[in-house]
Amino acid sequence: MAVAVLAAVTAVVLGVLWLAQGRQQAAPPADFGAVPPAAASDTGRPSGAAPPPSVAERAAVRQSPPERVLVPAVGLDARVEGVGVTPRGDMTVPDDPAVAGWYRYGPEPGSAEGSAVLVGHLDSETGDLGEFAALRDVRPGDTVEVRRAGAEPVVHRVTARATVPKDELPPSAFRRSGPPVLTLITCAPPFEPERGGYTANLVVTAEPVDARQGP
Amino acid sequence: MRSRFPVAIAASTGACALALGVAAPAMAAPAAEQDTAMVSVVHGIPDMTVDVYANGDELLSDFEPGTVTDPQSLKAGTYDIQIFEAGQGPDGTPALEKTVEVGEGDTATIAAHLSADGTPQLTAFADDVSKVDPGQGRLTVRHIAAAPAVDVRAGGEPVFTGLTNPNEDSAVVDAGTVEADVVLAGTDTVALGPAELNVAEGAGTVVYAWGSAEDDNLALATQKFSGMDSMPKAVHAGGDGTAVSANSTDWTPGWAAAGGVVAVAGVLAARRFVGKRD
Repeated sequence: MAVAVLAAVTAVVLGVLWLAQGRQQAAPPADFGAVPPAAASDTGRPSGAAPPPSVAERAAVRQSPPERVLVPAVGLDARVEGVGVTPRGDMTVPDDPAVAGWYRYGPEPGSAEGSAVLVGHLDSETGDLGEFAALRDVRPGDTVEVRRAGAEPVVHRVTARATVPKDELPPSAFRRSGPPVLTLITCAPPFEPERGGYTANLVVTAEPVDARQGP
Repeated sequence: MRSRFPVAIAASTGACALALGVAAPAMAAPAAEQDTAMVSVVHGIPDMTVDVYANGDELLSDFEPGTVTDPQSLKAGTYDIQIFEAGQGPDGTPALEKTVEVGEGDTATIAAHLSADGTPQLTAFADDVSKVDPGQGRLTVRHIAAAPAVDVRAGGEPVFTGLTNPNEDSAVVDAGTVEADVVLAGTDTVALGPAELNVAEGAGTVVYAWGSAEDDNLALATQKFSGMDSMPKAVHAGGDGTAVSANSTDWTPGWAAAGGVVAVAGVLAARRFVGKRD
């Protein structure tokens, strides 16, 4: 028990140190401490996003695949297409680094349960930076909006970010039940060409903002 | 027929939950999971609405032909399963009776159906709910019809051959919709279908061929088992290294370096730890 407490305290101290460091070096000028309320009022609900009636009708079949993902605070704005797995069992990632993939076997963003997964290239094979490269700058509380076909946009707030070795991607990122979250995945350094490129994944977790609590 | 399906299932599920309160009082507690089994019931005897009893307690009432219940938690043990014509039980003479043993952690389906020669019978099937690879689903076909051996074809190609009552065949296949039909074994004589069959990803799709060839009422019933999904093996979302080579200063040591990784993990661990005390 004492060991666990010590470990937790150490972790907290490390985490605080890291957060302080990150704040100093970070490019976006957002006020870290005030991020959650400010982010909600600034970008909680975009104007003109209400779907036309004909689209709303389609929502009756309860399928509202994501079409676009936006993280305004870091300038991320990507079209989304449904993806599955490659013959080898890896998640398919759209070749175009400007396009994000939604893991269509798992939950849709806005589902009542489970982790909806969006993936995007960090960079391409042709020297372009991917739209998801902007994820390196996200902060706790940043708003992630997902626009859907035939349904209202769903708004999330960033709660966690982790960098993990590629072979240690947490299974919780792909869980199909439990509390609803949005999981954004891209690649992360180290970049080791002799090992096939990037050897880590960046995993950003965002929780849905209850629309009824919004402004 | 199809539109009535969910209603019938909902009704029978409700009845089942009620009966289980008597039969297995501990079933709701997660801690009791270890000594329970998941049991489904399928009704494949044409023209007979039935009540199903387990050890004298009503499990399902007004159970219609062609319906399949959702899996229900039952305490592991031995059950005397009795099928009565609706309203005739439990003191009358059951139309069918069989002792079924369900072990801890089992997933099983009990089918009331016709034998190959048309005699009503009960058969217990063990349901395979083991994980499948990402992008795949498990397709199982069970022959519980008064009919001879059959082949099952998907997109015109035989998937299962020589399947006889009361047996099953199973395969893990790419998820998606296939056009399936059932033919007399070794022939192109279609006995059932074609029908669009959706093999869901990370799930089990069990198709029952039921009814009677002689009475010309062969039909298909479908059962789904979820929770067999596994996550993709990896996410390769990087390219030529542009993000580190051209813009390397943007990868702040704060999170790109190993220290950052530890800190992130540490924060998460600490959050979990704090959360547990609440």
